[in-house]
Amino acid sequence: MINQKNVQALYNLPTNVEFCKKCTISNQRPRISFDENGICSACNFAEYKKKIDWSIREKELADLCDKHRKNDGSYDVVVPCSGGKDGSFVAHMLKNKYKMNPLTVTWAPHIYTDIGRKNLDNFIRIGGFDNILGSVNGSVHQKMSQLAFLHMGDNFQSFIYGQTNFPIKVAVQHNISLIMYGENGEVEYGGDMKNAQQPTRDIKDHDGHYFSGKPPEFWVEHGVSKSDLYPYMPPSYEKIIKNKTEIHFMSYYHFWDPQENYYYSVKHTGFESNPERTEGTFSKYAGLDDKTDGQHYYLSYIKFGIGRATSDVSHEIRDGKITRDEGVLLVKKYDGEFPKLYFKETLSYLNISEELYWQVIDSWRSPHLWSKIDGVWKLNTTVWDIK
Amino acid sequence: MRNIRLISRLDIKAPNLVKGIQFEGLRKLGDPNEFALKYYLQGVDEIFYTDIVASLYERNSLLDIIKQTTDNVFVPITVGGGLRSVEDVLAALRAGADKVSINTAAIKNPSIITEISKKFGSQCMVLSIQAKWQGDHWEAYYDNGREHSYLDVVEWAKKGAELGAGEIILTSVDKEGTFKGFDHDLIRAVTDAVSIPVIASGGMGKLEDINTAVNYGNADAVAMASVLHYNHHDINSIREHCLNEKIPVRKVSSIGMP
Repeated sequence: MINQKNVQALYNLPTNVEFCKKCTISNQRPRISFDENGICSACNFAEYKKKIDWSIREKELADLCDKHRKNDGSYDVVVPCSGGKDGSFVAHMLKNKYKMNPLTVTWAPHIYTDIGRKNLDNFIRIGGFDNILGSVNGSVHQKMSQLAFLHMGDNFQSFIYGQTNFPIKVAVQHNISLIMYGENGEVEYGGDMKNAQQPTRDIKDHDGHYFSGKPPEFWVEHGVSKSDLYPYMPPSYEKIIKNKTEIHFMSYYHFWDPQENYYYSVKHTGFESNPERTEGTFSKYAGLDDKTDGQHYYLSYIKFGIGRATSDVSHEIRDGKITRDEGVLLVKKYDGEFPKLYFKETLSYLNISEELYWQVIDSWRSPHLWSKIDGVWKLNTTVWDIK
Repeated sequence: MRNIRLISRLDIKAPNLVKGIQFEGLRKLGDPNEFALKYYLQGVDEIFYTDIVASLYERNSLLDIIKQTTDNVFVPITVGGGLRSVEDVLAALRAGADKVSINTAAIKNPSIITEISKKFGSQCMVLSIQAKWQGDHWEAYYDNGREHSYLDVVEWAKKGAELGAGEIILTSVDKEGTFKGFDHDLIRAVTDAVSIPVIASGGMGKLEDINTAVNYGNADAVAMASVLHYNHHDINSIREHCLNEKIPVRKVSSIGMP
């Protein structure tokens, strides 16, 4: 039997669910804060963004590039990129507008979708980039994904280790001192706002923000050997410092608009949207390269009542693409839609039975969010019920 | 030989004209009436309005826009998006539409094609098909190129014609918004299968793209969106191109514009 988790304590979630008055995000998103008017930190940041003088930021970026630029033909910036619209935009801008020499770095998905693989290939060929694809021992990756699902309620954690640590490792190996990510999710989507006024990411935050307090070495006690864990580990702190590694976010330097990144990447790097609507949301241009990532979003819906549609809707409202009323309709229609397309394949990948799967899912349902009514789990509070 | 009609397609997410790529990433472009008027003054043959998110939001918010447009635009207007019943169609026609286009409702209930066609005439009933290439056939999609119907496009077009559709607007989901040219094989496959007029839609980039759609695809009309909205070409230059290429189009000079 799987033990019931105390989700509220684990993630420090408020008991009363409140929804932002401007978007559809709730106060259950870890680390998000609401102001006295009931507006979330991400919406306030979206307003703040409109007042930024982006020409000054552009100049800051040009200076940053000059500081890290190498003129001997070697790489001078690492751009983590899956071949999706956002990383493609960052890499292409740095190379073509700022005349940098990027080494793009991809941490391989658990199981590639056809469109995801095609987009990465297009990015490399049509976009014109050197790329290092980090592929770890598949059976270890599977095992790590299984353990993370069973112990953390997130099959995606092993991916996140690599996504966070692999680019740093490549940077150190190639003596590249600059790493440029796309958006700062903590700031753009709600979280710790301490980075809102600064372009960089603090490596000390990695364990807390990205690894839910469980760094890769945590899994040694679950029987994963140190050598198997090596690809997930960051370089030593001394090496990171000696390399003068700086992690920056493009969203600090350039107005971050995922929709415009879509147009940019279609034009310049051959990006294509999903051939159908992505399950759990209304869009078809985000997060489409890994067959198992639907479960990651579904688990967020279970733990926090925040599914993929809620997240997508919230930033489309902030970006002025849709109204809140439209957003509420979309959340009602799509949020929590079960990702069935690759479900069997994901179960087989995780090597768990469907029965165990549902036990784990239910163990992450907090009573402050969920009630079982007539045998069916229902959210206690929804954005469309709140007046 | 029949004249090839030049149609401007206006995707609406009320209150704005919007446009995406492959039906995704809808950019707001402005007041739909201003665009409709501009194209009318350039001499467009027809206007095709579609509430592109009607099915997504289960609403239909075009009526006010059509009413405004009919005040100063005097070419046939087709209206689609979110029309689910004969009553919805009647409301659209009363607001000033000359024809209606139906996609989602027809997929869910094909008999609505016959109902509309019997009540208002087949010339009024345009079947809208969003076609996506699936490796060995085209599949009809709905909800703005998001949902599978699992219907084969050519079979669906034939069935739609049999049920009483007077015309088909055939949009390639693959080409839509890309400027890469029409899916001429798609157009040809459908025009070979049905005898009713087919409007080629999705992908217009170069002027020459019309030649292939008409000469190879046998399209009866071409619908254009991004290429007009982003000012890559205007209706005058498109018409002039057609005349130079011996593609029969209505001979008009632009109306009123200097």
